[in-house]
Amino acid sequence: MSRRFVRKGDVIRVTLSEPERELLRGLPDHLRALYSSDDPDDAVTARLFPRAYLDPTEEAAEREWEALVRPELLREKLAALELVVTALDAAAPGRRGRLVADLGEDDVPAFLGVLNDARLALGTTIGVTDELDLSALDPSDPESGAYVAYGWLTYLQGELIETLLGKMPG
Amino acid sequence: MTGAPVEAPVELPLEEGAPDVEGFDVTDRPWIVIVWNDPVNLMSYVVFVLQKLFGYSREKATRLMLQVHHDGKAAVAEGTRAKAEADVARLHGHGLWATLEHPS
Repeated sequence: MSRRFVRKGDVIRVTLSEPERELLRGLPDHLRALYSSDDPDDAVTARLFPRAYLDPTEEAAEREWEALVRPELLREKLAALELVVTALDAAAPGRRGRLVADLGEDDVPAFLGVLNDARLALGTTIGVTDELDLSALDPSDPESGAYVAYGWLTYLQGELIETLLGKMPG
Repeated sequence: MTGAPVEAPVELPLEEGAPDVEGFDVTDRPWIVIVWNDPVNLMSYVVFVLQKLFGYSREKATRLMLQVHHDGKAAVAEGTRAKAEADVARLHGHGLWATLEHPS
């Protein structure tokens, strides 16, 4: 299949197969559940909402910062989920059974953020390392499906970034 | 955090051979914003975020990204505590693992 993301003037056009759309359409519900976790010891929560201070003597500043920043951060993440849901649901049939959606100015960062948070969450859960080699997957491993999904999301995000960097100043 | 106010990139001069140290103490030094290496964020994504948030050139953003990748971390910005806290919040909004610290 050719590229999923193509710049068309002011929008970025995303072209997906139906199973691809369904996979992406499932991400917002998963992320919404993860965002609402209030277990600070959970590794995924800690990765999606990291501390600002490593220094334990700055605990008061850390709490103040979290109280100030977290609600706004969460509000933005939830708004991004809604934009992605709306864009995916509005995808229209294109050529060869593909689904096509045009992502506007606000949809693009929302898509990028949802792809990244999904990869952060999945990568943390399956314990991705710098040496991850997707070609060495064992299909009988019960976690191989998660690795395949992670690999596909990585590919998709990489293509979107490439499209965005193309328009940024060098 | 795309909705957060975007501050102009600030490049504070280094304090090499500060001529007048009268009244200078450690609290005058800027806070440092650190981005840490992680195995998930794509190298191209880190470059994209550093360009977008700080207005860095592709070259500077790439140099900082490679420093994160090879050294495990890099100082990507500095300033007052309030500015560093805001920068960390914006980096977290983009999924980067960032902290602020004060060199002592």
